[in-house]
Amino acid sequence: MTQETKRFIRAPQDMAAGLFLIGLGAFALWQNAGLERGTLRVFGPGMMPTILAWACVVAGFAVGIGAMLWNGPKLERWTFRGPLFILGSAVAFGLTVRPLGMAVAAPLAVLLSSMASSETKLGEAAIFAIVITVFCLGLFRFMLNLPIPVAPWAIGY
Amino acid sequence: MFDLIGNLAHGFSIALSLQNIALCFAGVMIGTLIGVLPGVGPIATIAMLLPLTFKLDPTGALIMLAGIYYGAQYGGSTTAILVNIPGEATSVVTTLDGHQMAKQGRAGIALGVAALGSFFAGTVATLVIAALGVPLTKVALLFGPAEYFALMVAGLAFAVVLARGSLLKATGMILAGLLLATIGTDLETGEERMTLGFSTLSDGLDFAVLAMGLFGFAEILRNIENPEARDVTRGKIGRLLPNMDDIKRCIAPVLRGTAIGGALGILPGNGAVLGPFASYTVEKKLAKDPSRFGRGAIEGVAGPESANNAGAQTSFIPLLTLGIPPNAVMALMVGAMTIHGIIPGPLVMSKSPDLFWGMIASMWVGNFLLLVINLPLIGLWVRLLKVPYRLMFPAIMVFCCIGIYSINNSPQDVLFTAFFGFAGYVLYKFGFEPAPLLLGYVLGRLMEEKLRQAMILARGDFMTFVYNPIAAGMLAVAVIVVVIAVLPSVSKSRDQVFTE
Repeated sequence: MTQETKRFIRAPQDMAAGLFLIGLGAFALWQNAGLERGTLRVFGPGMMPTILAWACVVAGFAVGIGAMLWNGPKLERWTFRGPLFILGSAVAFGLTVRPLGMAVAAPLAVLLSSMASSETKLGEAAIFAIVITVFCLGLFRFMLNLPIPVAPWAIGY
Repeated sequence: MFDLIGNLAHGFSIALSLQNIALCFAGVMIGTLIGVLPGVGPIATIAMLLPLTFKLDPTGALIMLAGIYYGAQYGGSTTAILVNIPGEATSVVTTLDGHQMAKQGRAGIALGVAALGSFFAGTVATLVIAALGVPLTKVALLFGPAEYFALMVAGLAFAVVLARGSLLKATGMILAGLLLATIGTDLETGEERMTLGFSTLSDGLDFAVLAMGLFGFAEILRNIENPEARDVTRGKIGRLLPNMDDIKRCIAPVLRGTAIGGALGILPGNGAVLGPFASYTVEKKLAKDPSRFGRGAIEGVAGPESANNAGAQTSFIPLLTLGIPPNAVMALMVGAMTIHGIIPGPLVMSKSPDLFWGMIASMWVGNFLLLVINLPLIGLWVRLLKVPYRLMFPAIMVFCCIGIYSINNSPQDVLFTAFFGFAGYVLYKFGFEPAPLLLGYVLGRLMEEKLRQAMILARGDFMTFVYNPIAAGMLAVAVIVVVIAVLPSVSKSRDQVFTE
């Protein structure tokens, strides 16, 4: 027997997946602890969430036990640059669109998300940010009349 | 029969109004435009473009959304053939032979056959929907809560079996989706559940937010992480129309693909996903020389593409007749209908016949427009595909943000979407498929409601599901489907289908 097959956890990715499901179920159980469960005849608000949360926990255990019985893929490598800038750009958009308007939020989101890729050239991204912003303003605000603030600090809407 | 013709004529009189043709055309064009971007499937496209339809009348809005859906589907096939990147699960199969044909300089014919096959499938599917609409609606009106609940359980069982990868993990995702669906105010007691103190969550989680996060954002994260070599076909597209020999080869695969895809599409639980796979497998089995498959066999494009389109359309049937969305795209349609004050279900047909028949007729119009207008524009789509990804994804991000913000005019929704984008990334790293989660979420609230009603009616006796023949039958189907999938021989061939 090789070292490989003797490992205790044979499918690290599945083990992580199982733990994730258990964690999700446990979190839901904790959140729903205060809700009335009711009876089978008349369900309370807590009945369904509690049943489902327990089912999640059970499924998590099943996946985790499977991870100890059968060989499976390893955990993949995580990167941080992509999630940080891509999701960061959405967060930045969400935080700035009301107070500062689309004239600020849209180019900010383009520039920030551009940072996620190592292929990005700064000058190109800057020009592209302006082009996209003008396009979005034209399409969403002026053609489709969606009520998105444009630049409240400069023009009042 | 005369009813069918009369109803369709009524539908066409609505779908062919100048305004609705224009909306259908706009939807098809914009849908293709966005859907052709690699990594943007129909779900993200519709979620992004939902706000475009807010100002329209309900019929126009749904006609446009349906157009966007077909356009996005078509765009997905285009990227599959030209760039070897499937826009979504259902066009994975098209990459196999479609991209090979493109490499051999027959890209135009592959696209042409895909479009012609889809058009034929779409025409048949439109007729099927129109024919089944009335009888199925009558059946649906007989359904009580127990039957509805059992039907949805069967749908989820199908979804587990049809998901890629481990059955257990898919079950876990369904449960997680059902759990997420309980977030928000309890319908009967008005108590808040799992809102974590966010006031926006008291109405429940917005489906577009969840879908856009798990599919749109997470997809961009995955693409950036694995910068795949995008080999846009350098060679000529070539002529678009297949010659007599090609057509002869394609007729039978198109017919079979339409039948397979259309039948699977009706199943609740996203049967449409299976259509292209099934069609490809059938064509390969029936071929005189199976080794041609994977090397640019035209049958391998014609069959699956027809199945894809037929399934895409017949999956409207459960939504329009039963009010149960069979997949995430249809769930977005529910969202759009609700915004316009229409509750999907058996009553739509009798209460708003204009909308029901107009939408069905517009499906055919949309398919026709795709064929006669989009196909000649192929050069434009190719040029769009050559835009480097480093410019494409920031633009997609901004469109997504604006789209999500506009649905409820809520900046908080954008932040939630970012959160679910991260969740989608984590799920991907743990080897989970997000599709079953979305389906669980879509059906969750309705399932809880129906289960509670059924239990009240049965005075808390679970045996009601056994005594009720229809419900028992559907639950039995659910059990059988799962048991069959677990059988070793079947699970092996299931792995094969999904890895092929």
